[in-house]
Amino acid sequence: MPRLWFDKGTILLKGEVGTPYGKWDPRSGCYRLKASHYRDALEYFKESKIRYEDDVPNLPPLEQVKSNVELRTYQNKALDNWSRAGNRGVLVLPTAAGKTFIALKAIDLLRTQTLIVVPTLDLIDQWRKRVRECLGMEAGVVGGGENTVRMVTVSTYDSAYSQAAQLGNRFMFLVFDEVHHLASPGYMQIGEMYIAPYRMGLTATYERSDQRHALLPLVVGDPVYSIDIEELAGKHLSPYTYEKVSVELTPEEQQTYEAQMSVFRNYLQQRRIVLKSAADFQRFIMTTGRDPHAREALLARNRALRVAVNSEAKLNLLAERLEAYKDEKILIFTLYNDLVYTISRRFLIPAVTYQTPREERREILVNFGNGKYKVIVTSQVLDEGMDVPDASIGLILGGTGSTREYVQRLGRLLRKKEGKTAKLVEIISKETMEVGISRRRRLKTGEAS
Amino acid sequence: MLPSNLLVVWKRKGEILPRYAKLSNDNLEVAGGLIETYKENVGEKKKVLKAVVTDLENRGYEYRFVRGLALLLDRKGTFTCNSKINPVDLRRKIFQATEKSGLPTTPEKRQRIIDAAASEMALTPENFEEYLYADLDDELILEKFTPPSAHELLEQYNLSLSQTLLFDSTELSFTASGNWQNLFYFVKKLGLIYEVYRDNGLWVKIDGPASLFKLTKRYGISIAKLLPIIVANPEWTVTAKILWKYTNEICNFKIESQKHSSLLKKTNLPAVTYDSAVEESFASQFQAVKSGWTLKREPEPVPAGNQVIIPDFSLERGGVKVYLEIVGFWTEEYILRKAEKLKQVEDKMLLLVNEDLACEKLTALEKRPQLNFIYYHDKIPLASILRYLGTAFEMVKDREIKFLENLSVKFTEPVVSYDEFAARIGISTEAAKAVLTVNPPPGYVVMPNILVSKEKLIQIDNQIEECLKQSGKLPLTQAIRLIEAKGVSDASCALTQLGYKITWRGINSEQAEVTKASKKREDEVVKSPAP
Repeated sequence: MPRLWFDKGTILLKGEVGTPYGKWDPRSGCYRLKASHYRDALEYFKESKIRYEDDVPNLPPLEQVKSNVELRTYQNKALDNWSRAGNRGVLVLPTAAGKTFIALKAIDLLRTQTLIVVPTLDLIDQWRKRVRECLGMEAGVVGGGENTVRMVTVSTYDSAYSQAAQLGNRFMFLVFDEVHHLASPGYMQIGEMYIAPYRMGLTATYERSDQRHALLPLVVGDPVYSIDIEELAGKHLSPYTYEKVSVELTPEEQQTYEAQMSVFRNYLQQRRIVLKSAADFQRFIMTTGRDPHAREALLARNRALRVAVNSEAKLNLLAERLEAYKDEKILIFTLYNDLVYTISRRFLIPAVTYQTPREERREILVNFGNGKYKVIVTSQVLDEGMDVPDASIGLILGGTGSTREYVQRLGRLLRKKEGKTAKLVEIISKETMEVGISRRRRLKTGEAS
Repeated sequence: MLPSNLLVVWKRKGEILPRYAKLSNDNLEVAGGLIETYKENVGEKKKVLKAVVTDLENRGYEYRFVRGLALLLDRKGTFTCNSKINPVDLRRKIFQATEKSGLPTTPEKRQRIIDAAASEMALTPENFEEYLYADLDDELILEKFTPPSAHELLEQYNLSLSQTLLFDSTELSFTASGNWQNLFYFVKKLGLIYEVYRDNGLWVKIDGPASLFKLTKRYGISIAKLLPIIVANPEWTVTAKILWKYTNEICNFKIESQKHSSLLKKTNLPAVTYDSAVEESFASQFQAVKSGWTLKREPEPVPAGNQVIIPDFSLERGGVKVYLEIVGFWTEEYILRKAEKLKQVEDKMLLLVNEDLACEKLTALEKRPQLNFIYYHDKIPLASILRYLGTAFEMVKDREIKFLENLSVKFTEPVVSYDEFAARIGISTEAAKAVLTVNPPPGYVVMPNILVSKEKLIQIDNQIEECLKQSGKLPLTQAIRLIEAKGVSDASCALTQLGYKITWRGINSEQAEVTKASKKREDEVVKSPAP
């Protein structure tokens, strides 16, 4: 009788028969299958009336689920679409639209061993809390120094990838939070090294600038539901206004900016390089590894950008706005960490960056949530997935040209609250490359003017 | 290992190699300069060190080289936070203060808040400001620094560069002279899969389970971790396939000890630890009985058809080699498969199977008394193993004896050691001794470890007689020195052979004397049998 068992992220098949999925492995003297073909292989045996011995799964025991999750109409619709696609697929919903609850409801319905894969340690904590509150059980955790596997387990992408050889046969359902991460070349293998037949991807921003999201259907399934901010704004999300303020660089800043930019421009001119697209720029970055002049040009450009983004004029305007919005809850976003700390020191505002100790970050967010702290200044880490309590005002002092980052920052403000109108204010330096960067990030949201 | 943005390579026509830092005066100077900087700046902030690195970059040094060195030096240092009070507490204090007062949008208001908070914490406002963010990376203080030499730093840099390149490898092959045990121990431990093939020596190709389906860099990190173990051996060649992400092409990487050994750091290998307590206790028991067999842990792989077996131990005695493997939990199928595999092994292999660890009832597998399976309960049966080894050894010995008997050997040298002779013609010492002592070549006398020519013995006899004539007595130690100087190692045996008597006064050999007993005639000497 053919026998299947799990071997370090793959399945070995010994016996007289092969399957359409396996491949002969001369190293081991038997067939080897991708773990993700587990269900396909079993179905093949069943249809062909071949008896087999299955030693593949090694599942943690099931626990009692006490669920109290109630879904909104659009959430129910999303879950329906997913079930009908064979319990596979990606759901695209804006931040604050309650993606988490859809996944928890799915766990409640399937009642099977589930691994939730998330990008950050903070998100592990959040999911663990939600599993406790909504499913009435403790979640296992793999990552950040912990290693316990339970019926519902939360792990980082890093751990899910590096420990695929040990974890791949322990779950039947995979939930990928912020699923666009999965499309990166390494993480894609998570999709292949786990046997779980049921898979759900969650994201607010499905598309990646490198187009690799086109690969996601192979490992998670197709996008089965999508709804955007406009459809939810007002009803399920807060309405919002947008304002762009331009400031002038100080004369010294202007001088430095011009000097550095001319180094950059001269180089491009001499080499007849035209930078039109992201791909052009990527090619230019690559030449900086070989050509010291290219590198000098790149550094000059970065110094100019830094001057524009970190302009003193912005800080003066910031002071005015902080006065004006005295009683509101405000998130200040910057591009660089050093500006975060400049602002934190000057206005004595709590700062959150990748350098902030985890405990302190939690404390700051809790205090922001209960209204003790009114303002937080941050560079990037709040951009994604992190459950930041609602704020009504966002001040963007700098950012990349990424639409994803912009949408996620906006999402931070839109958690529904009666009578609230969120306000997003972007402060950019006049006549610098910041103008273009700002336009780029808002291009796809349909707001750009 | 370094972050991939610091990797510098040389790439041409499908070949790729890290840009190794040669141990040239220029590079040694940069490395030495950086080390000095770190030494001088113990007690200073990390941003001071960063500024020095930036300065080197601005002076035209390859920035990835300089930053790579600095990163390795960072790891040789301990960085600590300067503040006596945890900065997190200071910040909490100040943020709580602004809860009440509102955010300061003027310098004056800000100063008032700081002053108040500082005095509450019994700090000066200046100190308060300084400690507020003293835990940021740039602000940390280099507290301790263990300086490497400039040589070591460059070697470490080159090794790290190689490892960083191997992160992007899809497979690696190596051959090495030296410590196979360690190599296979780590290959297994890192979750890699190997294949062995012969191509001018034994080569091992390494990748992982999922490599079967497509090219994957998944095992690159494990492969990189293996590199220091390989290059710690005296001789090695390493080749690897690198998936170069920028151009998406496969490049060949090759380094070899002859060319690159001097560039790379040699790590001290960690001692091999045993997989199981069973193996460990067997090893120590076996070594305690002094069987004459040399026990070696995880010896080189034994080809079995197109696969290999990596036995737990090899046992060697005088050119006879037996492999030994201890089987843990097992099923009947496993044992049958194993037996099948063993049929293809040309070498002798002994399998120890604990019957208590059988995972199922035995049906198809009758307990056939196969020569190379030993079943046992509880404890590994040392006696059975030694019996098996004895038989194995005798069989080989008999074959060798026949071989030697059919060989016509002519001796010319005055002293023939069994050891050397056996090694020279490729048989065990025991076989050589068995033949030579029973049937000694004409003109030679048999001793425990050697054959000695009759002429040689007469020379020795004459010399001793001379000594006795002069002083009437000869201390044993002096006699032994005299005999050994003639190239004869079995001195006391030679004395007895020549009919001398050793008179002991106490147990101290210093006081023993050689005297004449019944002196034999020269022709008798040669005919007397071995003791």
